[in-house]
Amino acid sequence: MGESPVRFYCFYIYMASSTIARKNLFEDPIRFLVAQAGILFAVSLVTIQLGILKGFLRSTSMLVEYSSADLWVANKDLVHFELVSSLPAEYLKKATEVPGVEKTEVVLLRAGRWRDPKGNLSTVRIIGFNPEGQMFARWPMGEGQLASLNQSYKVLVDRASLASLDVSKVGDQATIGNLPLEIVGLTEDTKSTASSAFVFASLETANAYSLAELSSNITCRRLPDNSTDCSNQFSNAPRDRNLPAPEPRRLNLSDPITYILIKAKSGEDLEQLRTKLAQAMPDTVVYTRKELSEKTRNYWEVRTSVGFILGFGAVVGFVVGMVIVGQILYASVADHLREFGTLKAMGASNWVIYSIILEQALWMSVLGYIPSMALCFALSAWTLKAKGVMILIEPTTAAGVFVLTVVMCVGSALFAVQRVTRVDPAIVFKA
Amino acid sequence: MTSNLNFDGVPLDPTLLPIPMTAINLSFNPLHRKADLVTVTASSPSLSQETTAQGAIAATNVRMSYQSGSEVFHALKGVDLQVPTGDMQLLMGPSGSGKTTLLSILAGILTPTGGSVKLLGQDITKMSPKALAKFRLENIGFIFQGFNLFPALSAVENVEVALKLKGYRGSSARKEALVLLEQVGLANKANNLPRDLSGGQKQRVAIARALAGNPSLIMADEPTAALDSQNGHAVIELLRQLAKEGGRTVLLVTHDPRIMDAADRITYLEDGLIQTKPHH
Ligand SMILES: Nc1ncnc2c1ncn2[C@@H]1O[C@H](COP(=O)(O)OP(=O)(O)OP(=O)(O)O)[C@@H](O)[C@H]1O
Ligand SMILES: [Mg+2]
Repeated sequence: MGESPVRFYCFYIYMASSTIARKNLFEDPIRFLVAQAGILFAVSLVTIQLGILKGFLRSTSMLVEYSSADLWVANKDLVHFELVSSLPAEYLKKATEVPGVEKTEVVLLRAGRWRDPKGNLSTVRIIGFNPEGQMFARWPMGEGQLASLNQSYKVLVDRASLASLDVSKVGDQATIGNLPLEIVGLTEDTKSTASSAFVFASLETANAYSLAELSSNITCRRLPDNSTDCSNQFSNAPRDRNLPAPEPRRLNLSDPITYILIKAKSGEDLEQLRTKLAQAMPDTVVYTRKELSEKTRNYWEVRTSVGFILGFGAVVGFVVGMVIVGQILYASVADHLREFGTLKAMGASNWVIYSIILEQALWMSVLGYIPSMALCFALSAWTLKAKGVMILIEPTTAAGVFVLTVVMCVGSALFAVQRVTRVDPAIVFKA
Repeated sequence: MTSNLNFDGVPLDPTLLPIPMTAINLSFNPLHRKADLVTVTASSPSLSQETTAQGAIAATNVRMSYQSGSEVFHALKGVDLQVPTGDMQLLMGPSGSGKTTLLSILAGILTPTGGSVKLLGQDITKMSPKALAKFRLENIGFIFQGFNLFPALSAVENVEVALKLKGYRGSSARKEALVLLEQVGLANKANNLPRDLSGGQKQRVAIARALAGNPSLIMADEPTAALDSQNGHAVIELLRQLAKEGGRTVLLVTHDPRIMDAADRITYLEDGLIQTKPHH
């Protein structure tokens, strides 16, 4: 059997229309370039808004993503990675005793106030962990060694946070609370756009910083009879700066901890293990790495207006692009009405005319999309390098934006088609 | 051969014809022609019914009213017209008499307010817009006063558009387009854009385009009106040839007296009605 008549027909339509479509579109190169510039900016706006959103969401969960823990144990009131109440330190022992657990590590999250060498304050997020541990600090190191954190009051910060902390290099000093601090290394790709700067330290140092704050500190402990014992500690006496800072003390059972990271024994069923962990430690919730990461991203995307604002920007870009393409196609159609009328008089079906406009729309979308992606990739490389802000253009985003671009162009083509369908072929005999 | 062309018994002024009558091969018998020239008036339906069957174009009691605001303007007030197959028929008359309106209706691109039009035996006033478009595509070649070429396309591409619409594919469309351009004497201008062609050359490209797919009907509205006398002459020669080619029916609206000697019949339209006698 040969080709179906329908396919033949489509082919004819295509053959008849393609030359006119292309040549009419490129007839006035200046106008075409102006139109393409408009599309380029619209598509770039959409891509960058989405890329910033993706990059932002990614940054909020990078610490989780970089970890190699199978499971994260947290207080069950967890909202996202940085918003969670503490766990009693005794849970660490309990977790270690759960069958199937190979290894545990503790992560502390504390707030602090950073006073830079000039005396300016900024809020920081103090993150304490065991520098010898295997599961948490797996991010790329820019400078220095994790092992340097074993000394007291030595910290790491992200290279991208240096400016906001008003320091510039390894070796710079500052204070948190009334305790000294020296930067001994720089991390990469750990900065969360949603949060204040992270200061990485050993568990002891991190704990010391949190206790050094001039603030009240409520510590709660669960007693064996399942009641809770809370104590309110104030540390309000400014330390005499002439005296050397006291050595940070080791963590004890009364110190609250934030996360317990779990490495499962190989071959252990994670679902069963998390159930056992949750049973062993009341009022906790156990997440896989992926779940915690997703919960965090989801919080920032949905529960804050960040997702809405950036998404709104993308929608604005889409609408602007649609208006531009619509405007250009409509003007082009209006300029060529006599030609469309002539085609209609000659007996061309409406489909021939639609296919001309559609083809123009497709040309515009492809020729607008390609340079726009090039621009976006260049921009994202620049913002990451210069500003530490990641515009994350994943292949799915790029593909999605292409679909959007085509929809945008074809959508506005439909708008332009309205103009042609109303053309009275009788205009052809009017001089 | 010298003769006074008669139009319904009215002698035509030979000075109206810039081409010497002797130079023209008049392939018709003036006596026979006289009988042909009896055009039918709006008030003789009986006669029209007899003749519709065999004509390539047969219009019966065609009326057209234009509505502008609350006013209705009757552009055609009941026109009957038959054009036998293979004839070249001129439609003449003063400006605003309704020639273009009538041609548009006969070509199936304007729907009359009343009456019926049969082309090649098919009643086009009863066709759906889609069927009518298909009919035009297959059977009618158009020539316009303003050429209506596609300015972004070269001469050969302009002809190709029509061929492709009619189902020619790829290289066969290009080949056929070149043959048609050759026929109108423009093979050497095939790749010129319309803006690089003279008016007469543009109209010849348009004629080549009208001939694409060898339609049995050619409809032209003042094809020489926008041309100077030299360019007009070439186009007239071409139309003359075209009319002589077998079986093709040509309906031409014109003010150009130079075309008259090529015509088999001339119909005068005045004030929306066909006149049995020319006005002047
Ligand atoms: N779309 C329209 N709306 C209203 N009136 C119209 C329209 N088209 C034509 N007319 C009127 O109908 C009449 C006939 O117009 P038409 O164009 O058929 O004349 P014509 O004989 O071709 O004239 P010309 O020799 O100047 O081209 C004119 O009075 C014109 O004003
Ligand atoms: Mg006219």
